[in-house]
Formats: sequence, C-alpha cells, structure tokens
Amino acid sequence: MLEVSNLSLHYGRHIALHQLSLKVGKGETVVILGANGAGKSSLLKSIAGLTKPDAGALISFDKRVITGTPAHDVLEAGIALVPEGRGVFGDLTVEENLALGAYAKRARQGARDRQDFVYSLFSKLRDRRSQYVNTMSGGEQQMVAIGRALMSKPDLLMLDEPSLGLAPVVVGELFASLARIKAAGLALLIVEQNVKMTLSIADRGYLAEAGRITGEGTAQALMSDAAVQRAFLGAAN
Amino acid sequence: MLVTALLSGLVLGGTYALVAMGLTLQYGIARIMNLAYGEVVIAAAFLAYTLFTAWGISPVAGLLIAAPAGFALGYVIYGVMMRPLVARAWDKASLEIDSILATFGLLFVIQGVLLVVFGANFTSYSYLNVAVNVLGTTLAANRLLAFVLAAVFAGGLYLLLTRTLWGTALRAVSVAPGSAPLVGIDVDRAARMAFALGGALAAAGGVVISMYQTFTATSGVVFTMKALIVVIMGGVGNILGALSAGLILGVVETFVATYLDPGLTLAATYAIFLVVLLWRPSGLFGRIAR
Repeated sequence: MLEVSNLSLHYGRHIALHQLSLKVGKGETVVILGANGAGKSSLLKSIAGLTKPDAGALISFDKRVITGTPAHDVLEAGIALVPEGRGVFGDLTVEENLALGAYAKRARQGARDRQDFVYSLFSKLRDRRSQYVNTMSGGEQQMVAIGRALMSKPDLLMLDEPSLGLAPVVVGELFASLARIKAAGLALLIVEQNVKMTLSIADRGYLAEAGRITGEGTAQALMSDAAVQRAFLGAAN
Repeated sequence: MLVTALLSGLVLGGTYALVAMGLTLQYGIARIMNLAYGEVVIAAAFLAYTLFTAWGISPVAGLLIAAPAGFALGYVIYGVMMRPLVARAWDKASLEIDSILATFGLLFVIQGVLLVVFGANFTSYSYLNVAVNVLGTTLAANRLLAFVLAAVFAGGLYLLLTRTLWGTALRAVSVAPGSAPLVGIDVDRAARMAFALGGALAAAGGVVISMYQTFTATSGVVFTMKALIVVIMGGVGNILGALSAGLILGVVETFVATYLDPGLTLAATYAIFLVVLLWRPSGLFGRIAR
C-alpha cells in the first residue's frame, strides 16, 4: 500500500536520510527501530509531506504518487501522522480537537461513528470532552492526538514515538489501544524506542541507523535477532 | 452625566472593538501585522459617505457593499502582496518585520489615492441624527445604531469562530499553525481567508465610524493604533478579549475626556497600553483564541 524508494533528505550538510526504501502492506503493522538520530522522524515527516525530500525520491500510496504533496493533501490520500510531541491543539477542547480531525473532505462523512469509536477506545476522552487539552496529562494528550488522527479516516496511521515520556502503566494502555486499532483493519507505521512492546503488536520491522535501513525482518525474527537483542532489548547474554 | 459618559464611552468602545476584531484576525491567524489596516477603515468610510451623499444609499445598506468589498480587497492583497512574503519568511519574526514594512508602504498608497479623490478636508454626513432616550439620558440614534451594529458583528464573528468547523479550523491555525496541516487544513488558504475576513471587518468598522464621526483621508493611522492597542490588550487572536478591551478603552477615553481633560485622551490610551505591555504582555485575557 505504501511504497517508499530512494528517499534521501538533507538539512544543509547534514544527511538525515540516505536512499531509503520501505513498504507497508494493507492492514500491516510495521515498526522502525533505531537509536536517536537514525532519521526515523525525518522519514515519517517526509511521507506526511511536512518536509520535502531530495530529488529522486518516490513515495506512493495505493499506487498514487505522493512525493512532494503538501501535508494537507497527503492526509486526504489516507495517511495520518501522530507526530513526536503529539502536536495537539492545546488551547482547544478535546471535542474541538476531534472535530478538527474530521476536517478533511474524506473524513466529513461518518465522523460521528468514528467519534464513537474513538470514545470507545479512550473512554476518558468522552468524560473530558469539554476540557482544554493543555490542561491534561501526557497520556491523555496522546489519546487526543491518536483520536484526532483516527477521525481523519486514515488507511495508514503513522506514530512517532507514541510512548515517549509516558508512565509505564500508561504505555501498556497505549499499546492495548494500538492493538485494537490494528484489529480494526488500519495499517500502522510506528517509530518507537519501546522495542519489546512495539514488536509484540507488529508484523514486520526495519532497522534504521544513521539515515539508512540496515536490516529488516518479521517481528518474530527481529525479536530473536541477536543484534536487535543487544541493541534494544538489553539482553544480558 | 455619569450615565451619559458611560453610554458614549460604550458606543465609542463598541466601534473600537469592531475595528480591532479584524486586526486581531489578521495578526492572530494570518500573522500579518497590517499597518495599512486603518486606511481600509477610512476608505470604507469614504465609500459609505459617497453612497449616502451621491445616491442616497443608507449606511446600513452600504455595509452590504462595503463588507464584501473589504473581503475582496483583503483576499487580493494577501494573494498579491503577502503570499510571497509568507513563502520566503524564515520564521514568525521575519514575517512580522517584512509584513510591517510592506504594509507601511501600502498605507501611503491607499492614503495617497484617498487624498487625490476626496481631498484633505474633514468629512461627515448627517444620518439618523435624532436624539433618542436611553436610560434617562439622550443619545443620537446613529450612535445607538453604531453600537448595535458592533454588537451584531462581534456576536456573529464569535459564533462563526466557535460554532462552525471552518471557524474552529481558523482558531487551530491561530494556536498551532505547525499542527494544522496534520488534520488537513491548508494553512495558506486559512491565512488568506482570515486576512480577507479582517478586511471585511475593517470595512464594516469604517462604515459604522462614518455614521457618527468626522474623518479625513489621513486619519487611518489613528484607527490602526487604537486597534493595535485593543488587540494587544485583549490578547492576539482573542475575539472576546478584543471586545472587552475595546469597550474598556472607549469608556476610559470618554471618562478622561469628560472628567479630566479632553487633551489627555490620547495620553490615557497610551498609558493603559504601556501598563498592559509591561505587566500583561500576553494581554488582559491571554493569547488564546477562545
């Protein structure tokens, strides 16, 4: 469904991404593992249309070329991004954030049903729908960010470090919710530091290092891969 | 005398609020500091004057012409003048400087045209200049109408921004422009709409002002400055803040003129401005688009 090939990106002299290629199939959950500075956020931003990749890149979604398409049109094509730091509208209420999630033309119809789905996923949001988002906890704001992205009726949901800065018990709830979103048929592309949790819900994964893809495999294979264990899972032996 | 001063203060403040609401949209959402704002106000005042004196069209009907014309003017100015500045701006600060310089030039272009067409004389016309009884004191009907119109525009704008998805999207651009594209909002288009809507409010303000005040081709800068003070007092992008701050400014000016000395009016205005700037730089009501 999503096909990225030959994606490079540089900021001045710094090369953030180097001839990177990856695929996400329909309904598939794919994780990108890599240390800080591996270019994972740049990758998601390039796909979302928030940064312009270097010439020669090809990004297509459902056979449609979306390279260089502005972010608001990428969303219309069916790709939603929950950015690092969440990017919620803090001065607006939960309800307003969710309503704006359905601002895209593709999302206007059936917005009410999707709002019910979001509230069933995150029941806390229903209770707090009139609350201003910047008065909420990090975990609750992450629910708003994910709920808002779901409101746009995406076929592919991209999440950039969704568990960053959240308490362990909240992280557990978050991944339970992501599993339910996956079960609803959405494709997920996740960049995460919490490797164990992410691999447990993922189908496939890529290893990223200094802007390049250095390995890939099924989630199961990656889980038992010695290099992955050493780098991310803190295996003692 | 107290009630009289309070009423004329509220009338004046209502007009200030109406004029400031357009500027707060342009500055808060489109992020353009428009120094030519007052010139659009005065151009609309002359339009209302011409419609009334040449064709006998009442200012209330004139609003139906001036407001759409102001919208169109804002839409074109944004597309032609502002978009290139926005496209090349590094950040918010550089856009602010560029837009101040560009609109400073535009100020003199519009003012020059007005001077050539209408001359430098004080201009006014007599519309609904009859006394009506309000709360035991008398008030000119045109002033009462000016207040009612300001209230209608403020209420309409507030409902538009808070109760419609389109208006909520404009507020989203105001509070987090970086996140707006994530929900499919075209920020450039939203900014253009906000700028145009600001132009419509400037024009409406000009028509309302022309109903009860004397104006000249060069008095635009006064309205830009007062609107700017109200915008900063109320919190940039904050409609209810602009409304409250406008009313406060009008009442304070009128009280100072009535009880102290008319010559101190401007001094009082800027004293309030300085106090707000020093102690509440984000405005009396916060920099929030609620």
